[in-house]
Amino acid sequence: MSTLALHDVCKIYPGHHFAVKNFNLEVKDGEFIIFVGPSGCGKSTTLRMIAGLEEISRGELWIDGELMNYVEPRERNLSMVFQNYALYPNMTVYKNLAYSLKIRKVPKTQIDKRVHTVAKILEIEHLLDRYPNALSGGQKQRVAIGSAIIRNPKMFLMDEPLSNLDAKLRAQMRVELGKLHNELGATIIYVTHDQTEAMTLGTRIVVMKEGVIQQVDTPQMLYNHPVNKFVAGFIGSPAMNFLTADVYEFRENQEAQALFKKHGYYKRKVIMGIRPEDIYTNEDLEDHPEVEAGKPVAVQITAREMLGVEVMLYFELDGNQFCARTSPKNEYQIGHIRNLYFDRRKIHFFDPDTEEALS
Amino acid sequence: MKTLKEKTGPYLYLVPCLLIFGIFLFYPFFKTIYLSLFKTNKMGQAKLFVGLGNYIDLLKSPSFYNSLSVTVIFVVIVVVGSMLIGLVGAVLCNKAFPGIRIFSTAYALPMAIASSSAAMIFKIILHPSVGIMNKILGVSINWVSDPRYALVCVAVLTAWLNSGINFLYFSAGLGNIDESIYERASVDGASSVQQFFSLTLPGLSPIMFYTLVVNIIQAFQSFGQVKILTQGGPGESTNLMVYSIYRDAFFNYRFGSAAAQSVVLFLIVMVLTLVMFKLEKKGVKY
Repeated sequence: MSTLALHDVCKIYPGHHFAVKNFNLEVKDGEFIIFVGPSGCGKSTTLRMIAGLEEISRGELWIDGELMNYVEPRERNLSMVFQNYALYPNMTVYKNLAYSLKIRKVPKTQIDKRVHTVAKILEIEHLLDRYPNALSGGQKQRVAIGSAIIRNPKMFLMDEPLSNLDAKLRAQMRVELGKLHNELGATIIYVTHDQTEAMTLGTRIVVMKEGVIQQVDTPQMLYNHPVNKFVAGFIGSPAMNFLTADVYEFRENQEAQALFKKHGYYKRKVIMGIRPEDIYTNEDLEDHPEVEAGKPVAVQITAREMLGVEVMLYFELDGNQFCARTSPKNEYQIGHIRNLYFDRRKIHFFDPDTEEALS
Repeated sequence: MKTLKEKTGPYLYLVPCLLIFGIFLFYPFFKTIYLSLFKTNKMGQAKLFVGLGNYIDLLKSPSFYNSLSVTVIFVVIVVVGSMLIGLVGAVLCNKAFPGIRIFSTAYALPMAIASSSAAMIFKIILHPSVGIMNKILGVSINWVSDPRYALVCVAVLTAWLNSGINFLYFSAGLGNIDESIYERASVDGASSVQQFFSLTLPGLSPIMFYTLVVNIIQAFQSFGQVKILTQGGPGESTNLMVYSIYRDAFFNYRFGSAAAQSVVLFLIVMVLTLVMFKLEKKGVKY
């Protein structure tokens, strides 16, 4: 149905400043693609280039096999949800929803039917006569999504649509967006800086940094096999712990040993990364016989956060702040010195200079 | 118990403002109403009480009806013209391109030109033998001395003069419209004409209403350009109410009749303004 391809797309601002650099991506029909990255990484700019709101400085944009670089936004047949919702303030919710159909001269009875169907899906039927300034953030959000899905565009573009909502509402809308994607089977490109949204919604995630794609992969692959330190640190919450280590011998882990041998890292430094959930206490090890725990590491607990289902333990290791996600079974308190275990299979290694993952 | 100081303090703050209003607004206003009930001498002093006599004379005078209809035509041309020029200018200058400030200044400039000097310039432009207007159009029309054209000339000049401030109002109004709704509209598929009618115009409606009220009042009060360009002539074809008041008072020394016309003009403007404020609630959506 609808596919998207970006070939070497660049956005260059005056002064030879690359906001987006050599962006390459192929999107298949029905995919839920997430652009994720810290603010200023060029993810919104890329989305706006796809929509036609920003000029493409270099490279090619293809939608359904047609070159779209010079096609006006209104002729691209996409629909977009904006971060600030961009509802038309002079129109009621009904007219906001109907607008894109009205300018396409769809018969009134059909518009009316569509509006009510969409309003029903999003549970905003009782708001149809209201003006946008009489709506709450969440309601505006629904109207914005409603006016995007009311027609059948080739693709939905969403620019941080949930960022203005409070945490509870955001979680709720996230679930509904996921449902909506399943129901519509549509291709969605979604920009966010929230990695929870990225992980839960995306079929594939594009991680960006400073205008450059770092990795394009499924959430699972991103989490398990990050290609560099940036991706490893960005995906996962709390973030992965890092430690610079000297390699001299690594007898206990055959796999790592082979890795070091292959890349010639003996007697050199590497960056070691371990996720908080891959650090275990004595108590937790009993419940996880599958863990390949290495030698215990004695650490002094500097902070303890009780979150109910889990306990975050913070400690320092070689001057690096570490966090461990443990079960609430342990009674470790601030100041205690305790043994913790790292799951050897889950340790990541990165080159200290390029920060690329060793593989 | 409040002390005397506490009681009178707030009123003291109002005194300077009330004093100025009183001298320049309230006193002349009530004096005008008072004068309109009298026949006066040449010095403008009330001499003979005639009650509503001046008004009755006015309503019987064909000259008054003429100036009334001339004024209405004039106001319509001026208001429509000046708002249109201001709106088009503001919309054009709302886009960013090099040299935009020069254009903005040009559109706002009429605001800074005195009506009398503009009238002098137009007098030369419209001059039947040396004027550039006839040269450009290749015709020989005596613009300001021909009853068919005189009113239109004065009205167009006034429209242009008033357009400067409208340009400013509309520019400010356009600046208040959220840019992202245009982005959404263009992704939604709206052409720029559709965007103008469904977003820009409604977005301007609050300021549009205000500008309309100000423009109508301003148009009713136009005087300088008539005084210099046509002196109310030829015949009485440009004898606007304000000019007619001036002529009655300072040429014919009929201060009573002039005062009565002033009161009628005041009533017309007041009623129009009230009607528009009533209508605002229907026209302005948000």
